[in-house]
Amino acid sequence: MTKLNKKRKWFIAISLVVPMLLLVGFVVIPAFDLFRMSFTNWDGYSKNSDFIGISNYISMLHNKDLWLSLGNNAVYFFVHLLMIPIELMFAVLLNSRLRAAKFYKTMVFLPYIINGVAISYAFSYFFSPINGAFDSVLELLHLGNLSRDWLSDNRIVNYVLSSVSVWRFSGYHVVLFMAALQSIPKDIEEAAMVDGARAWHLFKYIQIPAIMLMVDFVLFDNIRGALQVFDIPFVMTSGGPGYASSTFTLYTIKTAFSFSNFGLASTMAMAIMIMIVAIYFTQNTIIHGLILRDRRK
Amino acid sequence: MKKKLLATVLTFAMVASVLTGCSNAKTENKNTSDSGATPTAASESKEDLSGTLTFTIWDNNLNTFIEENDMVAKFQKQYPNIDIEVEKIKDDSEYWNAMKMRASANQLPDIMFNKPFTLSRFKDYLVDLSGTEASANNELANGYAVNGKVLGIPMTAGYEYVYYWKDMFKEAGATVPKTWTEFEEVTKKLQDYYGSKDKDFMALACGLKDEWPDYPFMEFMPALESGNGQNWNTMAAQDNPFAEGTDINKAYHKIYDLFTSGVLGKDPLGLGNDQVTSLFAAKKASMIALGDWGLQNIKSGAEDVSQLGTFYLPTRNSESDPYNVIVQGDSFMGVTTHSKHQEAAIAFVEWFYSDAWYPDYINYVSSASSMTNFPKDKDPILAESDTLCPDKKLIMYDGGGDNFSAIQNETTFDYKKLGAQMLTNDFNLESTLKDLDDRWKAAREKLQIK
Repeated sequence: MTKLNKKRKWFIAISLVVPMLLLVGFVVIPAFDLFRMSFTNWDGYSKNSDFIGISNYISMLHNKDLWLSLGNNAVYFFVHLLMIPIELMFAVLLNSRLRAAKFYKTMVFLPYIINGVAISYAFSYFFSPINGAFDSVLELLHLGNLSRDWLSDNRIVNYVLSSVSVWRFSGYHVVLFMAALQSIPKDIEEAAMVDGARAWHLFKYIQIPAIMLMVDFVLFDNIRGALQVFDIPFVMTSGGPGYASSTFTLYTIKTAFSFSNFGLASTMAMAIMIMIVAIYFTQNTIIHGLILRDRRK
Repeated sequence: MKKKLLATVLTFAMVASVLTGCSNAKTENKNTSDSGATPTAASESKEDLSGTLTFTIWDNNLNTFIEENDMVAKFQKQYPNIDIEVEKIKDDSEYWNAMKMRASANQLPDIMFNKPFTLSRFKDYLVDLSGTEASANNELANGYAVNGKVLGIPMTAGYEYVYYWKDMFKEAGATVPKTWTEFEEVTKKLQDYYGSKDKDFMALACGLKDEWPDYPFMEFMPALESGNGQNWNTMAAQDNPFAEGTDINKAYHKIYDLFTSGVLGKDPLGLGNDQVTSLFAAKKASMIALGDWGLQNIKSGAEDVSQLGTFYLPTRNSESDPYNVIVQGDSFMGVTTHSKHQEAAIAFVEWFYSDAWYPDYINYVSSASSMTNFPKDKDPILAESDTLCPDKKLIMYDGGGDNFSAIQNETTFDYKKLGAQMLTNDFNLESTLKDLDDRWKAAREKLQIK
């Protein structure tokens, strides 16, 4: 074995071992510990805890505030899901020969790179009932009668927060779609155009199938993001009024730190992991098994 | 060859320094464990005490004062071998989260603060300070002892006030209320008078978006109603503490009626405490209920405070009833069992409450002194409430002991959130209190609390 080969093998081994050790140390072992804690009544600061079987799992299923919080997560999920086709259209548009496309790309991506907490603070003042910019805009447009208690009416608060989330994350999805669209070989599209394909045909028969992997990823990211949403409701409403805008993660943190029930909070964390995997597989089955079934034939 | 020699020398140097470090640590630990148990071992000279102490705080005013007055340098004049690392945490909520995590990891700071409601939670991690001079001179410390142990020395004595603008009261023809009924009438009168001119006006400012600003009502009023500072502990011994006729039931009905009468303005759930304090300072609100600490915030936001006054929240039903006023020890400075330099930490506590530091600090903040040897005259604005209420009866507030905390966690009873919920569309107080009663009883049974 030459010296170079030996060095290369060492490099590959270290490159594999170091991330594996980090993964095991910081993800796998904590995950197992989380699973263990979900069967205890640990309060977060006592030295000891008792094994209480599946009591936490039963308690979690009977917690109506938690279910309310999970329902609020669903609002984020569906609002973002509805936005995905629009994001896809934006990506196609920005990928075409549009004037000032670079400027639009930057503008679309900008909200994603701004700190989430800063965005949340800015929007909480934007929707403030006194001296709030949004109400002022409505007044300016003579639409003052549409003014509402944007952050305190429990019937609309989750949609307001979801709209902030859409504002922040849509640009990220658009950029992902654009990257996927740019990876499609140009000659395929040109050949289709020579054969008489129009923009819609290109989109439906070439672009969408070619970027399906990215669509899958964005859908997964939507599930994960919707179930783990935290910073926007935490800063803008603290989950209130009451639990009207609380989310699963927010409630889990409250359970751990406000009610000193780390055992139950661990159970909730396990539940969120299971839910993400279950919803992803369900979604995948629906998309690949039903929607794309005909295309495979 | 030279490289190998250099590497060998460096390796030996590293190993030697590590071993030296370990041996020093052992000696240091031995010293502290030998002597740290007795706080009165002040006979040792100050130079003998050494180590680095972590002092963790959340209070912005304290942090500013520490920085402006170079606390560490002043302390080191007396204790040259003790270093202090001040660690500022964003706010008290974050503080408790951090302390809980550190407690479980055996990494609490050397010196930490507590609130009345966290003393019992951290009691296993705090050193008994009952033998200290600071404890002996503190008028509240013994009242908060847990199982006879003083686990923290209150830095201030906290009083609650209703701040109001006298000129606004005068213009609307309102007078300072002396009973709850009068308080309700005054708030309505002010809301009607100013609300007709300004749709954003709040007779009583309360930033319920943050939830906690309702604490003068939701947390303290049950104790004020009963005249029992141990109200939470009394409730922990009852199966149906929220039933009709109980003190908390009466108090929460009063609060519900007040909050839903429109006197909090058009959207109190959409505003946080910083916003409403600024609006109050700008006279967009006529009253705000805050602790003595709130005065500094109001002063910094207001152009002129000559018309600013205070009175104690009148929760009594008639003038013949006692005028109950809450007082509580606040910011309990304690030494943790995780500290490797307990004696040095206790020396710091003694120094903090000595004339080398405490008098200047207590005069800097608007809160009242908790030390009998350093009495402080109240700010004239705060003293006005005492003039208005010479017959007040002080109720020493206790944040609730172990049993109450256990039931509270089990039932997820969050009184501050409940206050904000009162303003939501489909809130029903009767069914909420009934539900709380049911959960309370079940929790007591489950936790076997008698």
